[in-house]
Amino acid sequence: MAIKYTIDGIEVIAEQGETILSSATRAGVEIPTLCFSDKTAIYGACGVCVVEAEGVPKLLRACSAIPQDGYVVRTDTERVLRARKTAFELLLSDHTGDCRGPCKLKCPAGTDCQKYVNEIKDGKYYDAVATIYDVFPLPASIGRVCPHPCEDACRRELVEEPISIAFLKAFAADKVLASDNKYKITTGADSGKRVAIIGGGPAGLTAAVKLREYGHAVTIFDQQPKMGGMLRYGIPQYRLPKEILDAEIAIIEEAGVVMKNNVKLGKDIQFNEIVKTYDAVLVAIGAWTSVPMSVPGEDLDGVLGGIYFLEKLGHGERPVVGEKVAVCGGGNTAMDACRTAVRLGAKEVYVVYRRTRNEMPAADIEIEEAEEEGVIFKFLTNPIEIYGENGKVTGMKLQKMELGEPDESGRRSPVAIPGATEDIKVDNVFMAIGQVANCEGVEGVELTRKGTILCDEMTFRTNIPNVFAAGDVTNWGAGIAIEAIEEAIKAAFCINNFLEGDEVRYKATYFVEREVTPEEFEDREKQHREKMPGPTPEERIKSFMPVYDGFTEEQARAEASRCLECGCHDYYDCKLIKYANWFDVEPARFGGSKRERPLLEIADVIEHNADKCVLCGLCYRTCEQVEGKTFIGLYNRGFETVINPMFPRIEAAAYCATCGKCVDVCPTGAMRKKF
Amino acid sequence: MKIVIGEGSCGLAAGAGKVHSRLDVLFSESNPANAEVTITGCNGMCFLEPIVDIYDDGGELHRFVHIKEKDAEVIHDAVCSNDLSKLDSLRISDEDASFLSQQTRIALRNCGNINPMSIDEYIATGGYVALEKILKGMSQDDVIDEIDKSGLKGRGGAGFSTAFKWRAAKAADDAEKYLICNADEGDPGAFMDRAIIEGDPHALVEGMLIGAYAIGASEAIIYVRAEYPLAIKRLENAIKEATEREYLGKNIFGSNFSCSMRIKAGAGAFVCGEETALIESLEGKRGMPRLKPPFPAQSGFWFKPSNINNVETYANVPWIIANGGNAFAAMGTDDSKGTKVFALTGKIKRGGLVEIPMGKTLREVIYDIGGGIRGDKEFKAVQLGGPSGGCVPASLLDTKIDYKTLGQTGAIMGSGGMVVMDKTTCMVGMARFFLDFTAKESCGKCVHCRIGTKRMLEVLDRIVKGEGKDGDIEMLEDLCIAVKDGALCGLGQTAPNPVLTTIRYFREEMEAHIAEKRCPAGECVDLITYSIDKDKCIGCSLCARKCPTEAITGEIKSPFEIDVDKCTKCGNCRTVCKYEAILVK
Repeated sequence: MAIKYTIDGIEVIAEQGETILSSATRAGVEIPTLCFSDKTAIYGACGVCVVEAEGVPKLLRACSAIPQDGYVVRTDTERVLRARKTAFELLLSDHTGDCRGPCKLKCPAGTDCQKYVNEIKDGKYYDAVATIYDVFPLPASIGRVCPHPCEDACRRELVEEPISIAFLKAFAADKVLASDNKYKITTGADSGKRVAIIGGGPAGLTAAVKLREYGHAVTIFDQQPKMGGMLRYGIPQYRLPKEILDAEIAIIEEAGVVMKNNVKLGKDIQFNEIVKTYDAVLVAIGAWTSVPMSVPGEDLDGVLGGIYFLEKLGHGERPVVGEKVAVCGGGNTAMDACRTAVRLGAKEVYVVYRRTRNEMPAADIEIEEAEEEGVIFKFLTNPIEIYGENGKVTGMKLQKMELGEPDESGRRSPVAIPGATEDIKVDNVFMAIGQVANCEGVEGVELTRKGTILCDEMTFRTNIPNVFAAGDVTNWGAGIAIEAIEEAIKAAFCINNFLEGDEVRYKATYFVEREVTPEEFEDREKQHREKMPGPTPEERIKSFMPVYDGFTEEQARAEASRCLECGCHDYYDCKLIKYANWFDVEPARFGGSKRERPLLEIADVIEHNADKCVLCGLCYRTCEQVEGKTFIGLYNRGFETVINPMFPRIEAAAYCATCGKCVDVCPTGAMRKKF
Repeated sequence: MKIVIGEGSCGLAAGAGKVHSRLDVLFSESNPANAEVTITGCNGMCFLEPIVDIYDDGGELHRFVHIKEKDAEVIHDAVCSNDLSKLDSLRISDEDASFLSQQTRIALRNCGNINPMSIDEYIATGGYVALEKILKGMSQDDVIDEIDKSGLKGRGGAGFSTAFKWRAAKAADDAEKYLICNADEGDPGAFMDRAIIEGDPHALVEGMLIGAYAIGASEAIIYVRAEYPLAIKRLENAIKEATEREYLGKNIFGSNFSCSMRIKAGAGAFVCGEETALIESLEGKRGMPRLKPPFPAQSGFWFKPSNINNVETYANVPWIIANGGNAFAAMGTDDSKGTKVFALTGKIKRGGLVEIPMGKTLREVIYDIGGGIRGDKEFKAVQLGGPSGGCVPASLLDTKIDYKTLGQTGAIMGSGGMVVMDKTTCMVGMARFFLDFTAKESCGKCVHCRIGTKRMLEVLDRIVKGEGKDGDIEMLEDLCIAVKDGALCGLGQTAPNPVLTTIRYFREEMEAHIAEKRCPAGECVDLITYSIDKDKCIGCSLCARKCPTEAITGEIKSPFEIDVDKCTKCGNCRTVCKYEAILVK
């Protein structure tokens, strides 16, 4: 006779003797389990399947409890949620591993670097590009210009050098761009909603793609003649050939993004109109105003914001520079400006920077290449006056500095050495000490004191309900492209939620992370990173030709093969991480010690990592109950309990059939086949 | 005359063995009165051990306490000269004698009265009459009904109706059934079952046989912890004797009922006191609980219907059959019938085994029977139920001892551990002690217990070291509730009780550790310093002599001093000082 009961209000019919878990699953109610398998006897260890039945004092383990007629079962009561969540938190409080590699975790956009690097290793370039597109578009462009926080985090550095993740990205993207099978963005079913994006830079383009994937109609408005924003008008051709950018923007356009250029806000179109016309608006206008140095002589002819200088080149101009050029600042824009000046024929190019090389925010490789190209670095100097004759710049007075105490950013602050100054003769001064947003025309949107758009950090909403903002124009101001992309991804997520009428808030994914020490990598065989081929510095400075030729296929695959594969092999199948995010765990609230145990080799073909083991017992129970073997079992008691060979002194081969079933049933990444 | 030496483990530990040997020698040399030297089990007055009972020729009992080996000569002389007045200085005081006279002894009825190695002595007290009665005139259901009438609940801790379990096991449709005795008494401070087995093993054998008949089992197994070698020895002897007399074996008392009995010594895991873990262990597996249901009555040992009760429960059974369930039910309260044995320990004047009718108050047990707090210090709390139980504060001293009322305090009846604490016991330390125990004894199977108890212990460790943080108490409470709800077996489900009752009744004390880094009881070594009150110290030097690190110095008859750098805060000085001159801050 069948049993009728309800679970979360859903009527369920269970066979005689059938458990709540089995019957509820059939009725479509998901009950988490870790230790349950229909191939082994019920075990009841994990306790995450608990449910509450009205009138039953104790919580029931759904995996074993048999419902009675008329039971009113709930899975969403405070008691149930607390017991389940606590179980996951307790497990995670004793769980050591890397759900994802540090490369992915440190990428602001969360690109799955490990995945695409390994796809490149396997020669699956289209898959690699698809992996990147899962997160953001423009891989060939970003691969060339990104200061790659992923590589800074790469643990291969503890062996010799980090993986060339960014160049590999560019390699795969180039390969696919050059192929007949170009990447095609899959768009979502038409939602009937329309989104306007103001600004077609990395943030605007990324958001456009994401919103198309959600199925919304997207129009980008941009004041420049072409899309690309800072990638086009801020990054010199020798770093990012514009043909590449064009090709990648074309892919975005093919996805149905409407692109309207030469549209200036407040002049060609009114912001209010856009807000009224579209269901949602994303403001991603970037930070295009060069920060002035506020020194006498700034208005002299020949003095220009570094970004304005670069913008001219973006428009196809070849501005004339004098023999001696000074660039003020230590960031990537300063490097772009000084190297551009070299290419425009300047004989002596100085970089004036008030701290030392160690404190320079520019990427190391940029600094190295600038040095190779003859740029002269004047560290610990700060411009205090620009001289001129007949309204034209002729020189600068530099204050000599020394480093004092570290400031809030951790960098040592420069302090003026009283009376120590130096004069240099220059024909041009490019100021590259920072860029700020100019929100003229963005009417009615509340701004920060810095003049950026004030938006919520978790929802990207502004004070206007359907207006969102992302990229350099938001709260914190200008950063690197991949950070603008990160905000665009999150903002698109929030916009989609907003359009679907859901909770708008962006929720960060929980991952398990761990600390490593160099000793862990001592045994690794050294395999140095591939050297990027390209023209010599002497050749480079003659034109705006690309400074890199790109990896050969052989090089790319060799480079990709260096990956240590830090991220857990079982991430996509791991039940623990799935439920951790389901239940919004905070295992840190317990603190406490973790077990640290060596890897256990099972019959040379299976590896057991106790640090990731949740002791669900499925491995040993499957070994025992399905295979009829008793190779592994539980050892020790309480917190120290681990999976261990049952008879450590007996040859594994005598017991273990190396069937690998123990690996297949493991709900986490604790078991791994080595074959 | 008969000279009876109390030789339970407690008596032997106090030196009863040496007294016995000496008496044997003396009486073998000369025994004009033809006195008999024999033994008995623990009579419960552990605080008076070694105890020698002398039955005079009129059969009157004379009890002598704290007997030392050298006292054997005097005893020998007194017995030989038939003048027990020579022993008056060793005679038990009236006050101490009241320890027993205030009790009602059913489970302990023979403990301390008969020789546990002699089946004849058991039979002389009416032993095996109950077995004969059921086998000659009662059906299985009659037996269960009688037990039902008695209202007997399982004495091992959970307090589940014995008749209900027996009935379920009897109803289970299987030719092969088992009756198991849980003698894996593991709570720190509990020794009721040990005393019963050591003092009256046949009561257990008979009780089990009655149970086996009732449910239809033909094999009975006693799972006894290996740490009880004396109990095992006496039980082995009892099984041997009972088999010889054909109380065990085939067709007992000519009936169709046959039953064998064997002992299985446990390997020391506390969790094997949990019935399903015990079954796993019996089957030779790692001692880990099984999921219930199915309950052992349906699927137990070798997945056959099995009934499990503890020692005290079975020991009550022959009395109930012999005297009738109603007689048992006449004692106790509506909720809890009969009597319960407690192991009264801690800072109590008269510690030992106490059997009282349910419904007496904690105050009656602690003050009237136990004589109050040692050194007449202030009573602070009593811990009931060991690692699964909790502490009951002074304000609840008049709580009645029955399953329901005790449960309402947050503590439990448990198996009968009753640890009395005075104001020098830190309740946070107490909770930590029990949690340390359960965390170590967790089998490691379920998540909530394996990691939950560990995390709780870590927080308590932090708190007793003065490293507690704001929010620790709330986090502990939350974790405790989740562990109670989520743990697989009784061990994990009850492990939070000591912590929860400490938070419930002694929250301020816990907060003092966290907020003020202060241990009000002066016990947490990381939070205290020892010094000597110059006004109270009379300079007796006792503390200095007891100090293991020679941290205390001074001139006799003038105040002593403690060198805090040498002091290890062991507390010896405080314990021995008769003038309360040791200050702990």
